[in-house]
Amino acid sequence: MKNLQKLPIYLFSILAMGFASCESDDPVPENDAEVITDVTLTFQELDASGNAVGTPFSAKASDPEGIEIGATPTIETVTVKKGKTYRMNITVTNSIAGEDITEEILEEADEHQFFFVGGAFAGNILTIAYDDPSGELIGLQTELGVSSSPGTNNTQMQIVLRHALDKSYPGATNPNFPTYEQAGGETDLDITFPVVIEN
Amino acid sequence: MSQTCDLVLRGKILHLENDEAIEAAYVWILETRTGAVSDQNGNFVVRDLCPGTYTVSVKFLGHKEIRQTVNLSGNSTAQTFRLEEESLDLGSVEVHGHRDAVQTTTAVTSLYGDQMLQARGESLGESLKRVAGVTTFSTGNTISKPVIHGMHSNRIMILNNGIRLEGQQWGAEHAPEIDPFLADEITVIKGAETVRFGPEAMGGVILVNPPALPTTKTSQTDIHLLGATNGGMGNLSASYLGGSGKIKGLGYRVQGSAKRAGNVKSPDYYQDNTGMAEYNFSGSAGYSSEKLGVEAYYSYFNTEIGILTDAHTGNLSDLEDIIENGRPFTDADFSYEIKNPKQQVTHHLAKLKSHYHLNPNWKLNFQYGFQLNNRQEYDKRRGDLNAKPSLDLELFTNTVDLFLDHNLKPNWSGSFGLNVIQQANSNVPGTGVTPLIPNYDLFNGGIYAMEKYLKGPLELEAGLRYDYRTVEAARYVEEELQQSNLEYQNFSAFVGGLYQLSPYFAFTSNLGTAWRPPNVNELFSQGLHHGAAAVEIGDPTMVSEKSIKWVNGLEYESDKALVELTAYVNQINNYIYLNPTGETYVSLRGTFNVYEYLQADAFFYGFDLSGSYNFTDRASAYLKGSIIRAKNTDADNYFPFIPSDRMDWGFSYALGKKENINSDKITISNVLVAQQTREPDFDLAPAPPGYALFNIGYQKKIQLAKNQFNIGLQVNNLFDTEYKEYMNRFRYFTADMGRNILLKLNYQF
Repeated sequence: MKNLQKLPIYLFSILAMGFASCESDDPVPENDAEVITDVTLTFQELDASGNAVGTPFSAKASDPEGIEIGATPTIETVTVKKGKTYRMNITVTNSIAGEDITEEILEEADEHQFFFVGGAFAGNILTIAYDDPSGELIGLQTELGVSSSPGTNNTQMQIVLRHALDKSYPGATNPNFPTYEQAGGETDLDITFPVVIEN
Repeated sequence: MSQTCDLVLRGKILHLENDEAIEAAYVWILETRTGAVSDQNGNFVVRDLCPGTYTVSVKFLGHKEIRQTVNLSGNSTAQTFRLEEESLDLGSVEVHGHRDAVQTTTAVTSLYGDQMLQARGESLGESLKRVAGVTTFSTGNTISKPVIHGMHSNRIMILNNGIRLEGQQWGAEHAPEIDPFLADEITVIKGAETVRFGPEAMGGVILVNPPALPTTKTSQTDIHLLGATNGGMGNLSASYLGGSGKIKGLGYRVQGSAKRAGNVKSPDYYQDNTGMAEYNFSGSAGYSSEKLGVEAYYSYFNTEIGILTDAHTGNLSDLEDIIENGRPFTDADFSYEIKNPKQQVTHHLAKLKSHYHLNPNWKLNFQYGFQLNNRQEYDKRRGDLNAKPSLDLELFTNTVDLFLDHNLKPNWSGSFGLNVIQQANSNVPGTGVTPLIPNYDLFNGGIYAMEKYLKGPLELEAGLRYDYRTVEAARYVEEELQQSNLEYQNFSAFVGGLYQLSPYFAFTSNLGTAWRPPNVNELFSQGLHHGAAAVEIGDPTMVSEKSIKWVNGLEYESDKALVELTAYVNQINNYIYLNPTGETYVSLRGTFNVYEYLQADAFFYGFDLSGSYNFTDRASAYLKGSIIRAKNTDADNYFPFIPSDRMDWGFSYALGKKENINSDKITISNVLVAQQTREPDFDLAPAPPGYALFNIGYQKKIQLAKNQFNIGLQVNNLFDTEYKEYMNRFRYFTADMGRNILLKLNYQF
């Protein structure tokens, strides 16, 4: 029973240890690695045989704070010409963590796909086809055609990036698949660019 | 008129030193030569007595016999007997284990024995649905939190073997980190028990208790093996309870369980990524002598839970699409694989407890608890990030309880105590996501006193407590360090009583105040709740919730019938809730709903009814039901996620041989749940319609010498009915679980 007389000492030493370990760490700022802050569409006009003509131009959507309570994103207007065909490249970056997300999308090509919906495609004002160099259906590179008789000088192009979808879902090979949500997965990007069509 | 001999002597038999109920004590009335044996809760009833004066003898092994004269006249015939232990040097004396019973005048219900056997394999939340007035708030079919009288999360308290369980219980999708297999009894207290247990016990308390440690040479092994068709669930648990022959008073217990399940099946489809894996262990050792008792306890909980793939939405438009679809888009197959999104949680809990009898009437208790909770939540992310948790929290908790119990013959008993909680919460860096809640240190100190007066059919109790709490939180908001130091203090109190109205009727009433300081998520949340397509905004200026709850119970017990009716009202001032602002936030990822934490006065009231009736020795029926009403009295509208009206009723027929009728039993039951018509002004989808489910169960007990073999076969949702439960957050995305056939084997030797 001698040991029991020392019991309070043991108890209090365990207690002291417990309380000593019980202090929260100093907070560390986190870089939001998942956030997309900039999406740039680059347009290169193509001639009838598919060769580049003229100088490329771009339109950008940016939200420097990412998903936080703050300002809404700024989205530039896309200006294209009637009856022309363009090669459209999408680049996606995270300026907070300094990451090129385009690379990551390419690496996980089997899990990502862009869909192009909204009034521009529904009204056949614009047409689009996947043209990724690897031959996979991703949508980082596409061929965009502008109708020669659009019937309007402005429209909207909604670009949606889906992640973890079933790419073999019936209909998902169509870049304008209107019910893309049925292929499962979740949305990483959903941006509506205003489009102006010039003569 | 001749005398009618229909009087009843009823009462309770308790250990003098700790008020623990004594099971199997003999109560003998010398004059009539009739008697009774006390049940698991220490209760006994002796019937058919004529008015007169009797000598009652109460006996239990290792305790001093009580002989007392009882005068039976009109009706008042309830008596509590407290047995005193005989001193140890008398030789072959049984020293009993210590598990302190809760002595309260508020409504208490326990699950044990056969009911626990039927609940094996279920989560804590699911098991407790057997108690009238308790429902669950769930996230799919694997995550469920108990709801007592409409309150859950931080408004109720769960105790793991006497230590308040401290995880990240604020989260709707954070289930309690506890293995139900470690318990042989689970008790629900439905009143405000802040005085006894501290702030946060405003809605009620759940006590998960392992069996008391043996103090004599003994050996008991208990093995459970369970399987279920839905989800291909397999569950194994084993426990060993031993008492030392060499050292008198030394006992120990080890217990472990493993559970694995795959995708849950709704009637028409599998729910993708809804598997789970759980591995748990607990062990304890204790020593009891005449004056001193020491117990050490450790429990480990480890779980990995898959979250329904389709429930994780990127933005509001995703969310609206799936709600409109009414079921997941993914056509999944059965699989045991757990992918992202998922949760990984481990919880360590260690406890040291000691008591010392200063003299026969005073006992000093000391209890220390250490807990470490680590919660990691993984989202579906790009590249290397997929292997990193989006939420990684580490929570340390220390609790110290020091209290002095007293038992002053003949009428007074009570407790004075001091209680300290210290907590440290840290976000583990490297998630690549701005943390949802800050790092913080919390300290809470409380002192309390409670006293109880017992005389004949009357019990009265009252208590008072004072608490002081500080919270120091720190985090980075856009690269700027933001610190807050907050302070809260409050008094809480209760009064309660129990009165045995007649041999058959008992009435209890308890009025208690409670308080709850705002939790860190309510104060500081700011940002996207991943997967929920919601931006949540906290308010650091919020004040404590304060409530007053009045619970009344009426109990009727006769040979054939048992009825318990509980009615309560609960007024909560500054009730904190998450309110949809109706605004949306736009980002490159799309649109999100914005929710903010607000405070308003709330009024809850309701009834629980449970009863059973034995038609014959073999045929019986039971019924349980509950009704809850909750209103925001400031805005005159309803809160979200309040359980709708429901009842569960069934018939049992015993098929056993005459001497052991209940060894073989079949039960058919029906669960009826009404539609929640009292909906909040804003909800993503309307409340699902009411539903009816049928279940059938068969239970057989086989006695093999001293060993017992139990077989249970249950079919839940017999007709594979498709339904959605309002209290399931995933009702937006999927129907609930379809038919499930369970086989439960248990061997005790």
